[in-house]
Amino acid sequence: MTDHTADKLPEGALPDGVERQRMDVDIACVGFGPAMGGFLHTLSKGLVAEDGAPVAESKAMPGMPPQVICYERADDIGFGVSGVVTKGRGIRASFPDLDLMQIPLATEVRHEEVVYLLDPVGASRRPLVMRLKDRFLRATGLAKNHAYTLPYIPNFLRKEPGYLLSLGQFNQWAGGQIMGQGSAQIWPGTPVAGPLMEGRSVVGVRLQDQGVDRQGRPEAGFMPGMDIGSRLTVVADGPVGAVGRALDEKLGLPVGNHAREWAVGMKMVVDLPEGCALKEGLVLHTLGYPEPEIFGFLYVYPGNIASLGIFVPSWYDSPVRTGYRYLQHWMQHPYLWKHLQGGRMRSWGAKSLQESGRRGEPHLVGDGFARIGEGSGTTNVLTGSGFDEAWTSGVLLGVSVLELMEQDKPFTRENLEATYVRRRRESWLEREARIAEKARDGFQVGVIQGLIGMALAGLSGGKAFWPGATRKPHERIPSLEEFFRGRIPAEEIAQIRRDCTQKGLPLHGALMDRLGWPSIQYDGQLLVSHQDALLLGGKVQAPGGYRDHVTFKSTNVCKACDEKVCIEACSGQAISTNPDGGAPLFDREKCVHCGACIWNCSKPSPQGGESANVDFQAGAGGLHSAEN
Amino acid sequence: MKVLFLAHTEEGGGLGKAALEALGAAKGLGFELVVGLYGAEVQAGADAIAGCGAAKFLGVAGADFATARYGSDASACEAIAKAAGADLIVMPATARASRVAAGVALRLGAAVDTRLTGLEAAEGKVVATRWFYRQRMVGRIERDARPWLVTVDSGCFEAPSDMKGAASVEMLSPAVATRTVVTGVKSPAADAQTIRPEAKMLLVAGAGWGKSQAGGMKRLDEASQLILSLIGATKCSLGSSKSLVDQSGEGGALPFLTHMHQVGQTGSTPRHQKGLATCCHGEEPHVVGWRFITERRAINLDASCGWAQGKADVLYVADAFAVVKALVELLK
Amino acid sequence: MKGLQIVVLGSIVPDPLQTLEPIVGPTGPALKNEMMLPAVLDPWAGHALYEAANLAKQVEGKVYLVALGPKAKLQQVMMNVAQKVPFEINVLDGPAGGFTDAAETAKALAGAVEKLPGLDKGKLLIFGGWQSASRGTGAVLQMVGELLGVTDQFQGVDEIKMSDDGSFTVLERIEGGSYQLSSCQGAPAVLGWATGNLPEPPNNPQVGMANMRFIMPALQKAVAAPLKGEGLRFQSVEVPSQRRETRIVKDAPVDDIARELADWIRA
Repeated sequence: MTDHTADKLPEGALPDGVERQRMDVDIACVGFGPAMGGFLHTLSKGLVAEDGAPVAESKAMPGMPPQVICYERADDIGFGVSGVVTKGRGIRASFPDLDLMQIPLATEVRHEEVVYLLDPVGASRRPLVMRLKDRFLRATGLAKNHAYTLPYIPNFLRKEPGYLLSLGQFNQWAGGQIMGQGSAQIWPGTPVAGPLMEGRSVVGVRLQDQGVDRQGRPEAGFMPGMDIGSRLTVVADGPVGAVGRALDEKLGLPVGNHAREWAVGMKMVVDLPEGCALKEGLVLHTLGYPEPEIFGFLYVYPGNIASLGIFVPSWYDSPVRTGYRYLQHWMQHPYLWKHLQGGRMRSWGAKSLQESGRRGEPHLVGDGFARIGEGSGTTNVLTGSGFDEAWTSGVLLGVSVLELMEQDKPFTRENLEATYVRRRRESWLEREARIAEKARDGFQVGVIQGLIGMALAGLSGGKAFWPGATRKPHERIPSLEEFFRGRIPAEEIAQIRRDCTQKGLPLHGALMDRLGWPSIQYDGQLLVSHQDALLLGGKVQAPGGYRDHVTFKSTNVCKACDEKVCIEACSGQAISTNPDGGAPLFDREKCVHCGACIWNCSKPSPQGGESANVDFQAGAGGLHSAEN
Repeated sequence: MKVLFLAHTEEGGGLGKAALEALGAAKGLGFELVVGLYGAEVQAGADAIAGCGAAKFLGVAGADFATARYGSDASACEAIAKAAGADLIVMPATARASRVAAGVALRLGAAVDTRLTGLEAAEGKVVATRWFYRQRMVGRIERDARPWLVTVDSGCFEAPSDMKGAASVEMLSPAVATRTVVTGVKSPAADAQTIRPEAKMLLVAGAGWGKSQAGGMKRLDEASQLILSLIGATKCSLGSSKSLVDQSGEGGALPFLTHMHQVGQTGSTPRHQKGLATCCHGEEPHVVGWRFITERRAINLDASCGWAQGKADVLYVADAFAVVKALVELLK
Repeated sequence: MKGLQIVVLGSIVPDPLQTLEPIVGPTGPALKNEMMLPAVLDPWAGHALYEAANLAKQVEGKVYLVALGPKAKLQQVMMNVAQKVPFEINVLDGPAGGFTDAAETAKALAGAVEKLPGLDKGKLLIFGGWQSASRGTGAVLQMVGELLGVTDQFQGVDEIKMSDDGSFTVLERIEGGSYQLSSCQGAPAVLGWATGNLPEPPNNPQVGMANMRFIMPALQKAVAAPLKGEGLRFQSVEVPSQRRETRIVKDAPVDDIARELADWIRA
């Protein structure tokens, strides 16, 4: 048996007669999201004097204003996924006269609730403490509709006064403002393959090859990805971005840091049924169901529209942790379903969240590069807030870059440390991140410990927490037999595995049915097949001419893998069972680029390090929904 | 109100199906009718509809008007319309008439609406029906402006019958200014199937044909052979989805598929009596492609498939490879 | 012929994958959430633009894109389109929806074409889509041609072949999957494109940068073109109910299904 990976040209080699083009800019930016929005908005404002003249000259193109170019992988800048509830401190500072009416789906937070959901179907895997608690809540009549609303929300979780936003609509709006300022260009549909490095310095980025087949081999219309030389590369491609992860791999993380906690957030935007009692501005967070480890959210936008979804974390150890089926069970919880029944899915999407927060902070700067946003560890894992933090990190870098440009100083590590990193360390962002740093350690031990740990950290300002040592995501995942021990006999699991493999199906459907999860009765509106969610809600598609961005480092490792968590957890059913055995199949046209496969793999990378056996690159396409 | 039915004749001087249906639309309004025909010859066409009740027949004929060409066709239509002095001008939405209709309207100072699927008069008002956003929504429109030139889609109106007779056609001789010569027509090979309006059935080949089948292998040669055999046996039109067309063409998944076959949001929306969708999956807007198919059946592996649920009359949950193979045998 | 001026008329439409619903707005029907929907260059206009760029390369010509649409949306879509091929844009800030009147659109566009600096009608080719994914009348180009006095017009074009003397041949789609082949002595002419034969060009950052030098100023200079919407009245616009009672045949032997289908096809 030979172990083969994608047959492609050796790194950097090109067919005869084809040259890789190169272009030089001043600042190359990767990934357009809130962090990049904050950066480009701040930079653009500062690059133009009051009379409209540029305050600095381009070094890459002398005589021109500084050339600031941002490459975004998705087909549009509005295709990001996240329902946002935020205190909006950073946004308010950037836009003191912000009129929410300008941004579709935006509104103010008016009411917040945290609800503990009991298990109405009896299939969830609850620890004893939780079962006792459930029994108590039912017996005392405190639980209504199988749910218990917490009488009080601790301050650290409160978002009021704050905003509710759709990330897609906000990005569209912010991108429009920035492009209108005219100092920066944002190019969607342009995946960046990786950083160009000289030693530990970043000297630009390389774009993905176009006109190649699925394996990356040149075809008609081959255009090797251009090299973009830059004095500064701003990396904001999120936790699953190719540039950020390549930097982590090459430079490592600062001692003591690691980015091992993840979650996949899967969500819908829903037209609520007519007469729905949920009021605009409501922020509802749930815990306890469909599994104790799965948290949920529901925000009500203007126009009787809700943004809702769940988070399936990496510390929920099930090897068959499917987001989609759990989302459907969660929506059907009686407490929610009484509001949702009769609603209609408008859009759907999924994204990986980096939940290590401050603990996952990489090297923020180096010679020629700076990192902002979620991939730079901005997410506050205690308050569950990431949007405003990401925006603020971009603002801090923007101010710093302007300072260096004005002083005509190069973008060296020292200079960026003295400006951007210093500002970040002095900001509220850092202060709050420090409080949150160990807040979720308890989840490494168990869900109850995790919740207690969060409360301790939140109430003590980070001084107290529940300790828990972390492991690499792939080290956490038990075998199916281990996970279902005492619930499903090993022989039965083996039989289910054989049946599903033969039919090319993932295992979670059969296993969840076996555990007593009711089958989903599709209503064609809100409860639809996973495929229809892709088409109706995500409107997923992929342009041709790009290589498969999901590959498996060692096919032999896949052949020997019994869990294949990548298939179970794939948000778009893009990774599927190979009926011949061997490495799973990948269908680019279904991929939503959530990146869950990166951390939903139970086998270590043959090359060692933190990563697992899945290779995830930047690719074009994905969601075509601008509401998420 | 005076209505002009304005159409081109076909080779041999007769009128095509689309033209006759447009006559049905014009006649159905119940107003005073004038007929205007243009082409190489028009007498045969006029005779074929001599009994349609028209008050007058106008014609433009000759070698200059033999081919479908903007410069000459626009002059012919303009001359006829001016001579007729009609309030409403109804043309068929054929390729030939569609090329000039809007330009002619501009010359006449007329309002224009194209590809109508309905045209009716009620209480002195004329109301037209047409589709918007690639057949995603339907609207009913009216205008006060006269003249009003419309083209009507084929397959939406009944062609009147038994109208043969001898028509007296008043011939006009407009001047032609053009720098274009039509040099020929390239027809697809007899065995190559595209979307043909006269076919009874549309076969929609979906992306599933090009995907890996049970066993993990793509069976492209077999898919090609099955699809072509079914077309051969039924003489149906062949439509396909964008995603399959994109992967196809020379050297692609199914070499005989081109963008000419594409149905749906960015393709055509053909009208056929029957439609059979195979290996298609999707929802709006993907199903736009067979919106105008009267009887619809689908073969698909997924019982909740959006192409079929609520959209088809019958959904067969089965392997299309096996069903089509058996079907071809039966139809031989 | 060298130095052709190829003017592409085209605008944006909602991304074809989106769910579209009509609503009644203050000035007639409109799309629900129109400003929220992601937009793309109309697919047929896109084909016309790529064909124009390809032709311009052969004849050392220049491509102009004249677009009538809401400025903010056009700006966003241009960030994608501008990476594809070189062109200069001229923007009319106005509605691009499907419920606007084709004749009004044509008049606005013809006016903008007339005003293009250095326009030489002897070298003018007007390109556009023969249909659009919004209004879909296939009427605008003909009227623009007439308004500019261009009466050599072609619709459903999939190919143009240019000779050195400036004459060209055109393949137009006609019924039954056939093509009509014509030859024309030369510009000016109007060509309404079907899909053409060119693949969508790859995204080229250099092309994008070069285009952007003209796009941003053009957007800033955009002339307001509010269409009056006079003359065309809508009685109703609706998404027709599509629901059919679907009979689902499951677990039936292949031969039974084939037989049922054969009977249905033969009937």
